[in-house]
Amino acid sequence: MSATIYKHEFFSRLKSVLVWSVSLMLLVLFFFSIFQSFADQAALLNEMMAQFPPALLEAFGITKTDLSSVLGYFSFLLVFVQLCLAIQAGNYGFGLVSIEETELTADFLLTKPVSRLQIITSKLLVAFSCLLLTDLAVTASTFIAIALLSGGRPYDTGTLGLLLVSMLILQLFFLSVGMVISLLVHRVRSVTPYSLALGFGAYILAAFSGIFGDVKLEYITPFKQIDAAYIVLHNAYDMPLLLVNLAVTVVALLASYALYLRRDIPTAS
Amino acid sequence: MNIFLHELKANLKSLIIWGVIMVVFVVIGAAKFSAYAGNPEMLSILDAFPKAMLEALSMIAFNLTTVTGFFGIMFVYFALMGAIAAAMWGSGIISKEERDKTVEFSLVLPVSRTRVITAKALAGLVNCIAFVLVTWAVSLVVVQPYAPDAAFYSFLRMEMAALFIIELIYLAVGLLLGCAMQRYKLSGATAVGIILVTYFLSIVVSLDSKLDFLKYFTPFKYFDASQFFRMGHFDLVYLLLSAAIIVLSLVVAYLSYNRRDLYI
Repeated sequence: MSATIYKHEFFSRLKSVLVWSVSLMLLVLFFFSIFQSFADQAALLNEMMAQFPPALLEAFGITKTDLSSVLGYFSFLLVFVQLCLAIQAGNYGFGLVSIEETELTADFLLTKPVSRLQIITSKLLVAFSCLLLTDLAVTASTFIAIALLSGGRPYDTGTLGLLLVSMLILQLFFLSVGMVISLLVHRVRSVTPYSLALGFGAYILAAFSGIFGDVKLEYITPFKQIDAAYIVLHNAYDMPLLLVNLAVTVVALLASYALYLRRDIPTAS
Repeated sequence: MNIFLHELKANLKSLIIWGVIMVVFVVIGAAKFSAYAGNPEMLSILDAFPKAMLEALSMIAFNLTTVTGFFGIMFVYFALMGAIAAAMWGSGIISKEERDKTVEFSLVLPVSRTRVITAKALAGLVNCIAFVLVTWAVSLVVVQPYAPDAAFYSFLRMEMAALFIIELIYLAVGLLLGCAMQRYKLSGATAVGIILVTYFLSIVVSLDSKLDFLKYFTPFKYFDASQFFRMGHFDLVYLLLSAAIIVLSLVVAYLSYNRRDLYI
Protein backbone atom coordinates (compact mmCIF):
# COMPACT_ATOMS: atom_id res chain seq x y z
CA MET A 1 0.00 0.00 0.00
CA SER A 2 1.50 3.29 -1.09
CA ALA A 3 0.07 6.52 0.28
CA THR A 4 1.13 8.51 -2.79
CA ILE A 5 -0.70 6.26 -5.21
CA TYR A 6 -3.70 6.15 -2.93
CA LYS A 7 -3.92 9.91 -2.72
CA HIS A 8 -3.41 10.42 -6.43
CA GLU A 9 -5.96 7.79 -7.41
CA PHE A 10 -8.47 8.95 -4.85
CA PHE A 11 -8.49 12.51 -6.09
CA SER A 12 -8.74 11.44 -9.70
CA ARG A 13 -11.83 9.39 -8.80
CA LEU A 14 -13.37 11.98 -6.50
CA LYS A 15 -15.42 13.74 -9.16
CA SER A 16 -16.91 10.51 -10.40
CA VAL A 17 -17.81 9.49 -6.83
CA LEU A 18 -19.51 12.83 -6.24
CA VAL A 19 -21.55 12.61 -9.44
CA TRP A 20 -22.67 9.04 -8.72
CA SER A 21 -23.46 9.80 -5.06
CA VAL A 22 -25.51 12.89 -5.79
CA SER A 23 -27.42 11.18 -8.63
CA LEU A 24 -28.20 8.18 -6.48
CA MET A 25 -29.33 10.33 -3.57
CA LEU A 26 -31.68 12.17 -5.91
CA LEU A 27 -32.91 8.86 -7.33
CA VAL A 28 -33.82 7.55 -3.87
CA LEU A 29 -35.48 10.80 -2.82
CA PHE A 30 -37.40 11.03 -6.08
CA PHE A 31 -38.73 7.48 -5.84
CA PHE A 32 -39.78 8.02 -2.25
CA SER A 33 -41.56 11.25 -3.11
CA ILE A 34 -44.24 9.26 -4.94
CA PHE A 35 -44.34 6.50 -2.33
CA GLN A 36 -47.49 7.63 -0.53
CA SER A 37 -49.76 7.79 -3.56
CA PHE A 38 -48.35 4.54 -4.87
CA ALA A 39 -48.73 2.71 -1.58
CA ASP A 40 -52.51 3.08 -1.57
CA GLN A 41 -52.76 1.41 -4.93
CA ALA A 42 -50.40 -1.32 -3.86
CA ALA A 43 -52.56 -2.08 -0.85
CA LEU A 44 -55.34 -3.05 -3.26
CA LEU A 45 -52.98 -5.42 -5.00
CA ASN A 46 -52.23 -7.24 -1.76
CA GLU A 47 -55.90 -7.97 -1.18
CA MET A 48 -56.28 -9.44 -4.63
CA MET A 49 -53.14 -11.48 -4.45
CA ALA A 50 -54.41 -13.12 -1.29
CA GLN A 51 -57.07 -14.86 -3.39
CA PHE A 52 -54.57 -16.96 -5.31
CA PRO A 53 -52.95 -20.10 -3.99
CA PRO A 54 -49.39 -19.19 -2.93
CA ALA A 55 -47.87 -22.18 -4.72
CA LEU A 56 -49.19 -20.92 -8.03
CA LEU A 57 -47.80 -17.42 -7.54
CA GLU A 58 -44.44 -18.83 -6.63
CA ALA A 59 -44.39 -21.09 -9.67
CA PHE A 60 -44.70 -18.02 -11.86
CA GLY A 61 -42.05 -16.10 -9.99
CA ILE A 62 -44.40 -13.50 -8.59
CA THR A 63 -42.94 -12.54 -5.28
CA LYS A 64 -45.09 -11.54 -2.40
CA THR A 65 -43.39 -8.21 -2.01
CA ASP A 66 -45.70 -5.84 -0.23
CA LEU A 67 -45.25 -2.60 -2.13
CA SER A 68 -47.39 -0.67 0.30
CA SER A 69 -44.82 -1.15 3.06
CA VAL A 70 -41.71 0.96 3.40
CA LEU A 71 -39.32 -1.93 2.95
CA GLY A 72 -41.27 -3.51 0.11
CA TYR A 73 -41.20 -0.26 -1.78
CA PHE A 74 -37.56 0.26 -0.93
CA SER A 75 -36.67 -3.19 -2.25
CA PHE A 76 -38.46 -2.25 -5.49
CA LEU A 77 -36.45 0.92 -5.95
CA LEU A 78 -33.26 -0.65 -4.63
CA VAL A 79 -33.02 -2.68 -7.83
CA PHE A 80 -32.47 0.53 -9.80
CA VAL A 81 -29.94 1.78 -7.28
CA GLN A 82 -28.18 -1.57 -7.56
CA LEU A 83 -28.07 -1.24 -11.34
CA CYS A 84 -26.30 2.11 -11.00
CA LEU A 85 -23.96 0.79 -8.33
CA ALA A 86 -23.14 -2.21 -10.50
CA ILE A 87 -22.20 0.02 -13.42
CA GLN A 88 -20.15 2.30 -11.20
CA ALA A 89 -18.32 -0.62 -9.57
CA GLY A 90 -17.85 -2.19 -13.00
CA ASN A 91 -16.34 1.06 -14.25
CA TYR A 92 -13.83 1.12 -11.43
CA GLY A 93 -13.06 -2.57 -11.77
CA PHE A 94 -12.54 -2.56 -15.53
CA GLY A 95 -10.56 0.67 -15.37
CA LEU A 96 -8.42 -0.15 -12.35
CA VAL A 97 -5.48 -1.57 -14.27
CA SER A 98 -6.46 -1.03 -17.89
CA ILE A 99 -6.72 2.73 -17.71
CA GLU A 100 -2.95 3.02 -17.20
CA GLU A 101 -2.44 0.95 -20.31
CA THR A 102 -4.82 2.89 -22.57
CA GLU A 103 -3.35 6.16 -21.39
CA LEU A 104 0.15 4.77 -21.82
CA THR A 105 1.17 5.52 -18.25
CA ALA A 106 1.54 1.91 -17.11
CA ASP A 107 5.27 1.70 -17.72
CA PHE A 108 5.81 5.04 -16.01
CA LEU A 109 4.08 3.69 -12.94
CA LEU A 110 6.30 0.63 -12.95
CA THR A 111 9.48 2.71 -12.90
CA LYS A 112 8.47 3.97 -9.48
CA PRO A 113 9.99 2.31 -6.43
CA VAL A 114 6.83 0.41 -5.58
CA SER A 115 6.05 -3.24 -6.15
CA ARG A 116 3.17 -4.35 -8.34
CA LEU A 117 1.60 -5.76 -5.22
CA GLN A 118 1.59 -2.29 -3.69
CA ILE A 119 0.22 -0.73 -6.86
CA ILE A 120 -2.75 -3.03 -7.20
CA THR A 121 -3.47 -3.04 -3.46
CA SER A 122 -3.48 0.75 -3.26
CA LYS A 123 -5.68 1.05 -6.32
CA LEU A 124 -8.09 -1.56 -4.98
CA LEU A 125 -8.32 0.23 -1.65
CA VAL A 126 -9.11 3.47 -3.45
CA ALA A 127 -11.87 1.83 -5.47
CA PHE A 128 -13.18 0.27 -2.28
CA SER A 129 -13.19 3.59 -0.42
CA CYS A 130 -14.97 5.27 -3.32
CA LEU A 131 -17.65 2.61 -3.42
CA LEU A 132 -18.03 2.84 0.33
CA LEU A 133 -18.50 6.60 0.11
CA THR A 134 -21.23 6.15 -2.48
CA ASP A 135 -22.86 3.59 -0.20
CA LEU A 136 -22.84 6.00 2.69
CA ALA A 137 -24.46 8.65 0.51
CA VAL A 138 -27.22 6.24 -0.50
CA THR A 139 -27.68 5.13 3.09
CA ALA A 140 -27.96 8.71 4.28
CA SER A 141 -30.50 9.62 1.61
CA THR A 142 -32.49 6.47 2.39
CA PHE A 143 -32.86 7.41 6.03
CA ILE A 144 -33.72 10.98 5.12
CA ALA A 145 -36.29 9.82 2.57
CA ILE A 146 -37.91 7.37 4.96
CA ALA A 147 -38.03 9.92 7.75
CA LEU A 148 -39.53 12.65 5.59
CA LEU A 149 -41.60 10.88 2.97
CA SER A 150 -42.87 7.57 4.30
CA GLY A 151 -45.70 9.10 6.30
CA GLY A 152 -44.55 7.42 9.48
CA ARG A 153 -45.18 3.85 8.36
CA PRO A 154 -43.32 1.33 10.52
CA TYR A 155 -40.39 -0.72 9.23
CA ASP A 156 -37.79 -3.11 10.54
CA THR A 157 -34.39 -1.45 10.95
CA GLY A 158 -32.51 -4.74 10.94
CA THR A 159 -33.88 -5.73 7.54
CA LEU A 160 -33.15 -2.28 6.17
CA GLY A 161 -29.59 -2.76 7.39
CA LEU A 162 -29.35 -6.06 5.53
CA LEU A 163 -30.58 -4.36 2.35
CA LEU A 164 -28.07 -1.55 2.68
CA VAL A 165 -25.18 -3.94 3.35
CA SER A 166 -26.22 -5.98 0.31
CA MET A 167 -25.27 -2.98 -1.82
CA LEU A 168 -21.67 -3.31 -0.74
CA ILE A 169 -21.63 -7.03 -1.52
CA LEU A 170 -22.96 -6.29 -4.99
CA GLN A 171 -20.39 -3.56 -5.58
CA LEU A 172 -17.51 -5.82 -4.55
CA PHE A 173 -18.77 -8.47 -6.96
CA PHE A 174 -18.77 -6.12 -9.93
CA LEU A 175 -15.49 -4.52 -8.90
CA SER A 176 -13.59 -7.78 -8.71
CA VAL A 177 -15.28 -9.47 -11.67
CA GLY A 178 -14.70 -6.37 -13.78
CA MET A 179 -11.06 -6.33 -12.78
CA VAL A 180 -10.43 -9.98 -13.57
CA ILE A 181 -12.13 -9.66 -16.97
CA SER A 182 -10.02 -6.60 -17.78
CA LEU A 183 -6.91 -8.64 -17.01
CA LEU A 184 -8.08 -11.67 -18.98
CA VAL A 185 -8.93 -9.92 -22.25
CA HIS A 186 -6.11 -8.80 -24.46
CA ARG A 187 -6.80 -5.10 -24.16
CA VAL A 188 -9.60 -2.96 -22.78
CA ARG A 189 -9.85 0.03 -25.10
CA SER A 190 -12.81 1.69 -23.47
CA VAL A 191 -14.20 0.90 -20.05
CA THR A 192 -17.84 1.96 -20.40
CA PRO A 193 -19.07 -0.61 -22.94
CA TYR A 194 -17.72 -3.40 -20.75
CA SER A 195 -19.22 -2.16 -17.50
CA LEU A 196 -22.52 -1.36 -19.20
CA ALA A 197 -22.71 -4.81 -20.75
CA LEU A 198 -21.89 -6.54 -17.45
CA GLY A 199 -24.22 -4.37 -15.35
CA PHE A 200 -27.18 -4.31 -17.71
CA GLY A 201 -26.68 -7.94 -18.71
CA ALA A 202 -26.97 -9.06 -15.09
CA TYR A 203 -29.89 -6.69 -14.53
CA ILE A 204 -31.89 -7.80 -17.57
CA LEU A 205 -31.40 -11.47 -16.69
CA ALA A 206 -32.77 -10.75 -13.22
CA ALA A 207 -35.62 -8.48 -14.35
CA PHE A 208 -36.61 -10.94 -17.01
CA SER A 209 -36.76 -13.81 -14.56
CA GLY A 210 -39.11 -11.77 -12.40
CA ILE A 211 -41.70 -11.81 -15.14
CA PHE A 212 -41.23 -15.26 -16.49
CA GLY A 213 -41.40 -18.21 -14.18
CA ASP A 214 -38.89 -20.57 -12.85
CA VAL A 215 -35.66 -21.03 -14.78
CA LYS A 216 -32.54 -21.64 -12.72
CA LEU A 217 -30.29 -19.85 -15.17
CA GLU A 218 -30.83 -16.50 -13.50
CA TYR A 219 -29.05 -17.62 -10.37
CA ILE A 220 -25.84 -16.67 -12.10
CA THR A 221 -26.80 -13.02 -11.85
CA PRO A 222 -25.78 -11.19 -8.66
CA PHE A 223 -29.06 -9.28 -8.70
CA LYS A 224 -30.78 -12.58 -7.91
CA GLN A 225 -28.08 -13.85 -5.59
CA ILE A 226 -28.75 -10.85 -3.36
CA ASP A 227 -32.40 -10.43 -4.25
CA ALA A 228 -33.83 -7.49 -2.33
CA ALA A 229 -37.33 -8.97 -2.45
CA TYR A 230 -36.06 -12.17 -0.85
CA ILE A 231 -34.31 -10.26 1.92
CA VAL A 232 -37.47 -8.32 2.77
CA LEU A 233 -39.60 -11.44 2.75
CA HIS A 234 -37.32 -13.56 4.94
CA ASN A 235 -35.47 -10.88 6.92
CA ALA A 236 -32.29 -12.69 5.95
CA TYR A 237 -29.97 -13.34 3.03
CA ASP A 238 -30.40 -16.37 0.84
CA MET A 239 -27.33 -18.03 2.36
CA PRO A 240 -26.27 -20.55 -0.33
CA LEU A 241 -26.58 -17.94 -3.07
CA LEU A 242 -24.82 -15.31 -0.98
CA LEU A 243 -21.93 -17.73 -0.45
CA VAL A 244 -21.77 -18.40 -4.21
CA ASN A 245 -21.63 -14.67 -4.77
CA LEU A 246 -18.89 -14.12 -2.19
CA ALA A 247 -16.92 -17.07 -3.53
CA VAL A 248 -16.97 -15.61 -7.06
CA THR A 249 -15.82 -12.27 -5.66
CA VAL A 250 -12.93 -13.80 -3.72
CA VAL A 251 -11.81 -16.01 -6.60
CA ALA A 252 -11.93 -13.07 -9.02
CA LEU A 253 -9.92 -10.98 -6.58
CA LEU A 254 -7.23 -13.62 -6.09
CA ALA A 255 -7.07 -14.32 -9.81
CA SER A 256 -6.65 -10.60 -10.49
CA TYR A 257 -3.69 -10.43 -8.14
CA ALA A 258 -2.10 -13.47 -9.73
CA LEU A 259 -2.68 -12.17 -13.25
CA TYR A 260 -1.49 -8.65 -12.55
CA LEU A 261 1.71 -9.73 -10.80
CA ARG A 262 2.69 -11.72 -13.89
CA ARG A 263 1.22 -9.44 -16.53
CA ASP A 264 3.19 -8.34 -19.56
CA ILE A 265 2.65 -4.59 -19.35
CA PRO A 266 2.64 -2.82 -22.72
CA THR A 267 4.93 0.21 -22.97
CA ALA A 268 4.40 3.57 -24.57
CA SER A 269 6.68 3.46 -27.58
CA MET B 1 -15.81 5.25 -48.63
CA ASN B 2 -12.53 4.04 -47.18
CA ILE B 3 -13.37 5.45 -43.78
CA PHE B 4 -16.81 3.87 -43.96
CA LEU B 5 -15.39 0.44 -44.71
CA HIS B 6 -12.68 0.84 -42.12
CA GLU B 7 -15.25 1.73 -39.44
CA LEU B 8 -17.48 -1.18 -40.42
CA LYS B 9 -14.55 -3.51 -39.97
CA ALA B 10 -13.50 -1.92 -36.70
CA ASN B 11 -17.02 -2.28 -35.30
CA LEU B 12 -17.62 -5.76 -36.63
CA LYS B 13 -16.54 -7.48 -33.42
CA SER B 14 -18.87 -5.35 -31.32
CA LEU B 15 -21.70 -6.00 -33.77
CA ILE B 16 -21.14 -9.75 -33.63
CA ILE B 17 -21.12 -9.70 -29.82
CA TRP B 18 -24.39 -7.74 -29.74
CA GLY B 19 -25.89 -10.08 -32.34
CA VAL B 20 -25.00 -13.09 -30.21
CA ILE B 21 -26.47 -11.39 -27.11
CA MET B 22 -29.75 -10.75 -28.92
CA VAL B 23 -29.94 -14.29 -30.25
CA VAL B 24 -29.29 -15.77 -26.81
CA PHE B 25 -31.77 -13.38 -25.21
CA VAL B 26 -34.60 -14.21 -27.61
CA VAL B 27 -33.91 -17.93 -27.37
CA ILE B 28 -33.93 -17.85 -23.54
CA GLY B 29 -37.11 -15.80 -23.64
CA ALA B 30 -38.76 -18.29 -25.97
CA ALA B 31 -37.76 -21.16 -23.69
CA LYS B 32 -39.46 -19.39 -20.80
CA PHE B 33 -42.49 -18.61 -22.89
CA SER B 34 -43.05 -22.29 -23.57
CA ALA B 35 -44.18 -22.63 -19.93
CA TYR B 36 -46.75 -19.91 -20.47
CA ALA B 37 -48.28 -20.68 -23.82
CA GLY B 38 -52.00 -21.16 -23.35
CA ASN B 39 -51.95 -21.24 -19.53
CA PRO B 40 -55.23 -19.69 -18.33
CA GLU B 41 -54.25 -19.63 -14.63
CA MET B 42 -51.43 -17.25 -15.41
CA LEU B 43 -53.80 -14.95 -17.18
CA SER B 44 -56.11 -14.71 -14.19
CA ILE B 45 -53.19 -13.75 -11.98
CA LEU B 46 -52.12 -11.03 -14.36
CA ASP B 47 -55.66 -9.71 -14.57
CA ALA B 48 -55.64 -9.15 -10.83
CA PHE B 49 -52.56 -6.92 -10.85
CA PRO B 50 -53.23 -3.20 -10.41
CA LYS B 51 -52.68 -1.00 -13.41
CA ALA B 52 -49.70 0.93 -12.09
CA MET B 53 -47.82 -2.22 -11.26
CA LEU B 54 -48.41 -3.77 -14.65
CA GLU B 55 -47.45 -0.59 -16.39
CA ALA B 56 -44.26 -0.37 -14.38
CA LEU B 57 -43.43 -3.82 -15.70
CA SER B 58 -44.98 -2.82 -19.05
CA MET B 59 -47.28 -5.81 -18.93
CA ILE B 60 -50.51 -3.96 -19.46
CA ALA B 61 -52.77 -4.87 -22.35
CA PHE B 62 -50.91 -8.02 -23.14
CA ASN B 63 -52.14 -11.51 -22.91
CA LEU B 64 -48.96 -13.22 -21.90
CA THR B 65 -50.19 -16.60 -22.96
CA THR B 66 -49.98 -15.66 -26.65
CA VAL B 67 -46.87 -14.98 -28.74
CA THR B 68 -48.07 -11.44 -29.41
CA GLY B 69 -48.30 -10.71 -25.71
CA PHE B 70 -44.96 -12.31 -25.11
CA PHE B 71 -43.23 -10.16 -27.71
CA GLY B 72 -45.01 -7.14 -26.31
CA ILE B 73 -43.20 -7.72 -23.01
CA MET B 74 -39.91 -8.46 -24.71
CA PHE B 75 -40.00 -5.12 -26.48
CA VAL B 76 -38.86 -3.15 -23.42
CA TYR B 77 -35.71 -5.24 -23.28
CA PHE B 78 -35.16 -5.04 -27.02
CA ALA B 79 -35.43 -1.26 -26.77
CA LEU B 80 -33.10 -1.09 -23.77
CA MET B 81 -30.42 -3.19 -25.41
CA GLY B 82 -30.79 -1.44 -28.74
CA ALA B 83 -30.42 1.92 -27.04
CA ILE B 84 -27.27 0.84 -25.17
CA ALA B 85 -25.70 -0.60 -28.30
CA ALA B 86 -26.55 2.42 -30.44
CA ALA B 87 -25.41 4.98 -27.88
CA MET B 88 -22.11 3.15 -27.41
CA TRP B 89 -21.55 2.93 -31.16
CA GLY B 90 -22.43 6.57 -31.67
CA SER B 91 -20.21 8.02 -28.97
CA GLY B 92 -17.40 5.49 -29.38
CA ILE B 93 -17.02 5.77 -33.14
CA ILE B 94 -16.07 9.45 -32.84
CA SER B 95 -14.29 9.60 -29.51
CA LYS B 96 -12.13 6.53 -30.01
CA GLU B 97 -9.95 8.48 -32.44
CA GLU B 98 -9.01 10.84 -29.67
CA ARG B 99 -8.62 8.10 -27.12
CA ASP B 100 -6.36 6.05 -29.37
CA LYS B 101 -4.48 9.18 -30.48
CA THR B 102 -5.35 8.55 -34.14
CA VAL B 103 -7.38 11.69 -34.71
CA GLU B 104 -4.45 13.63 -36.14
CA PHE B 105 -3.98 10.87 -38.68
CA SER B 106 -7.56 11.14 -39.88
CA LEU B 107 -7.09 14.90 -40.15
CA VAL B 108 -4.15 14.66 -42.53
CA LEU B 109 -6.21 12.58 -44.94
CA PRO B 110 -7.61 14.54 -47.90
CA VAL B 111 -11.16 14.49 -46.52
CA SER B 112 -13.09 17.14 -44.67
CA ARG B 113 -14.27 16.62 -41.11
CA THR B 114 -17.81 16.62 -42.41
CA ARG B 115 -17.06 13.62 -44.58
CA VAL B 116 -15.37 11.84 -41.70
CA ILE B 117 -18.48 12.18 -39.55
CA THR B 118 -20.77 11.20 -42.43
CA ALA B 119 -18.78 8.02 -43.06
CA LYS B 120 -18.76 7.18 -39.36
CA ALA B 121 -22.45 7.92 -38.91
CA LEU B 122 -23.28 5.68 -41.88
CA ALA B 123 -21.19 2.88 -40.39
CA GLY B 124 -23.15 3.27 -37.16
CA LEU B 125 -26.39 3.23 -39.13
CA VAL B 126 -25.42 -0.02 -40.87
CA ASN B 127 -24.68 -1.53 -37.45
CA CYS B 128 -28.11 -0.52 -36.18
CA ILE B 129 -29.80 -1.99 -39.25
CA ALA B 130 -27.91 -5.23 -38.76
CA PHE B 131 -28.89 -5.26 -35.07
CA VAL B 132 -32.59 -4.97 -35.95
CA LEU B 133 -32.37 -7.55 -38.71
CA VAL B 134 -30.69 -10.10 -36.43
CA THR B 135 -33.32 -9.55 -33.73
CA TRP B 136 -36.09 -9.81 -36.30
CA ALA B 137 -34.72 -12.96 -37.90
CA VAL B 138 -34.21 -14.85 -34.65
CA SER B 139 -37.67 -13.76 -33.45
CA LEU B 140 -39.23 -15.18 -36.60
CA VAL B 141 -37.40 -18.45 -36.04
CA VAL B 142 -38.37 -18.96 -32.38
CA VAL B 143 -42.10 -18.30 -32.92
CA GLN B 144 -42.48 -20.95 -35.61
CA PRO B 145 -43.60 -23.74 -33.20
CA TYR B 146 -46.57 -21.58 -32.13
CA ALA B 147 -47.79 -20.94 -35.70
CA PRO B 148 -48.65 -17.25 -35.13
CA ASP B 149 -51.27 -15.45 -37.22
CA ALA B 150 -50.81 -12.54 -39.61
CA ALA B 151 -51.60 -10.02 -36.87
CA PHE B 152 -48.52 -11.16 -35.01
CA TYR B 153 -46.26 -10.61 -37.99
CA SER B 154 -47.50 -7.08 -38.52
CA PHE B 155 -47.09 -6.40 -34.79
CA LEU B 156 -43.55 -7.73 -34.91
CA ARG B 157 -42.86 -5.53 -37.94
CA MET B 158 -44.03 -2.47 -35.99
CA GLU B 159 -41.94 -3.50 -33.02
CA MET B 160 -38.85 -3.74 -35.14
CA ALA B 161 -39.60 -0.36 -36.75
CA ALA B 162 -39.95 1.14 -33.26
CA LEU B 163 -36.71 -0.53 -32.16
CA PHE B 164 -34.97 0.94 -35.19
CA ILE B 165 -36.20 4.47 -34.48
CA ILE B 166 -35.13 4.21 -30.83
CA GLU B 167 -31.73 3.05 -31.99
CA LEU B 168 -31.51 5.99 -34.38
CA ILE B 169 -32.30 8.42 -31.57
CA TYR B 170 -29.58 7.02 -29.34
CA LEU B 171 -27.13 6.73 -32.22
CA ALA B 172 -27.66 10.41 -33.08
CA VAL B 173 -27.35 11.48 -29.45
CA GLY B 174 -24.23 9.33 -29.10
CA LEU B 175 -22.70 10.93 -32.18
CA LEU B 176 -23.53 14.34 -30.77
CA LEU B 177 -21.76 13.51 -27.52
CA GLY B 178 -18.73 12.16 -29.35
CA CYS B 179 -18.54 15.25 -31.56
CA ALA B 180 -19.35 17.97 -29.06
CA MET B 181 -17.62 16.82 -25.87
CA GLN B 182 -14.22 18.39 -25.38
CA ARG B 183 -12.92 15.48 -23.36
CA TYR B 184 -13.33 12.08 -24.94
CA LYS B 185 -13.71 10.34 -21.59
CA LEU B 186 -16.79 12.35 -20.80
CA SER B 187 -18.71 11.33 -23.90
CA GLY B 188 -18.98 7.68 -22.87
CA ALA B 189 -19.83 8.58 -19.28
CA THR B 190 -22.52 11.03 -20.41
CA ALA B 191 -24.00 8.42 -22.72
CA VAL B 192 -24.30 6.05 -19.75
CA GLY B 193 -25.96 8.79 -17.75
CA ILE B 194 -28.47 9.51 -20.50
CA ILE B 195 -29.37 5.83 -20.90
CA LEU B 196 -29.86 5.36 -17.15
CA VAL B 197 -31.85 8.55 -16.67
CA THR B 198 -34.17 7.94 -19.64
CA TYR B 199 -34.70 4.32 -18.61
CA PHE B 200 -35.53 5.22 -15.01
CA LEU B 201 -37.82 7.99 -16.23
CA SER B 202 -39.72 5.52 -18.35
CA ILE B 203 -40.38 3.45 -15.21
CA VAL B 204 -41.16 6.34 -12.89
CA VAL B 205 -43.62 7.91 -15.34
CA SER B 206 -45.99 4.98 -15.03
CA LEU B 207 -45.93 4.95 -11.22
CA ASP B 208 -47.78 8.19 -10.75
CA SER B 209 -50.17 9.97 -13.12
CA LYS B 210 -48.91 13.35 -11.89
CA LEU B 211 -45.61 12.61 -13.59
CA ASP B 212 -47.20 12.01 -16.97
CA PHE B 213 -45.55 15.02 -18.60
CA LEU B 214 -42.14 13.41 -18.11
CA LYS B 215 -42.88 10.88 -20.85
CA TYR B 216 -41.75 13.41 -23.46
CA PHE B 217 -38.25 13.22 -22.05
CA THR B 218 -37.68 9.52 -22.48
CA PRO B 219 -37.55 7.83 -25.90
CA PHE B 220 -38.42 4.52 -24.23
CA LYS B 221 -41.93 5.90 -23.75
CA TYR B 222 -42.26 7.20 -27.32
CA PHE B 223 -42.93 3.71 -28.54
CA ASP B 224 -45.03 1.88 -26.04
CA ALA B 225 -45.62 -1.65 -27.28
CA SER B 226 -49.04 -1.89 -25.68
CA GLN B 227 -50.06 1.39 -27.27
CA PHE B 228 -49.10 0.67 -30.84
CA PHE B 229 -50.47 -2.82 -30.39
CA ARG B 230 -53.87 -1.36 -29.55
CA MET B 231 -53.82 1.47 -32.09
CA GLY B 232 -52.10 -0.32 -34.94
CA HIS B 233 -49.91 2.69 -35.75
CA PHE B 234 -47.38 4.97 -34.06
CA ASP B 235 -48.33 8.21 -32.40
CA LEU B 236 -47.54 11.04 -34.81
CA VAL B 237 -46.43 13.38 -32.03
CA TYR B 238 -43.72 10.97 -30.96
CA LEU B 239 -42.62 10.28 -34.51
CA LEU B 240 -42.14 13.99 -35.07
CA LEU B 241 -40.40 14.33 -31.71
CA SER B 242 -38.03 11.48 -32.60
CA ALA B 243 -37.27 13.02 -35.99
CA ALA B 244 -36.63 16.38 -34.32
CA ILE B 245 -34.21 14.87 -31.80
CA ILE B 246 -32.34 12.95 -34.49
CA VAL B 247 -32.03 15.89 -36.89
CA LEU B 248 -31.12 18.37 -34.18
CA SER B 249 -28.47 16.08 -32.69
CA LEU B 250 -26.89 15.47 -36.08
CA VAL B 251 -26.88 19.15 -37.03
CA VAL B 252 -25.26 20.17 -33.75
CA ALA B 253 -22.83 17.26 -34.06
CA TYR B 254 -21.65 18.41 -37.51
CA LEU B 255 -21.43 22.06 -36.50
CA SER B 256 -19.51 21.44 -33.31
CA TYR B 257 -17.08 18.88 -34.74
CA ASN B 258 -16.18 21.17 -37.63
CA ARG B 259 -15.24 23.98 -35.29
CA ARG B 260 -13.78 22.00 -32.45
CA ASP B 261 -10.25 22.04 -31.16
CA LEU B 262 -9.48 18.34 -31.29
CA TYR B 263 -7.56 16.69 -28.46
CA ILE B 264 -4.31 15.38 -29.85
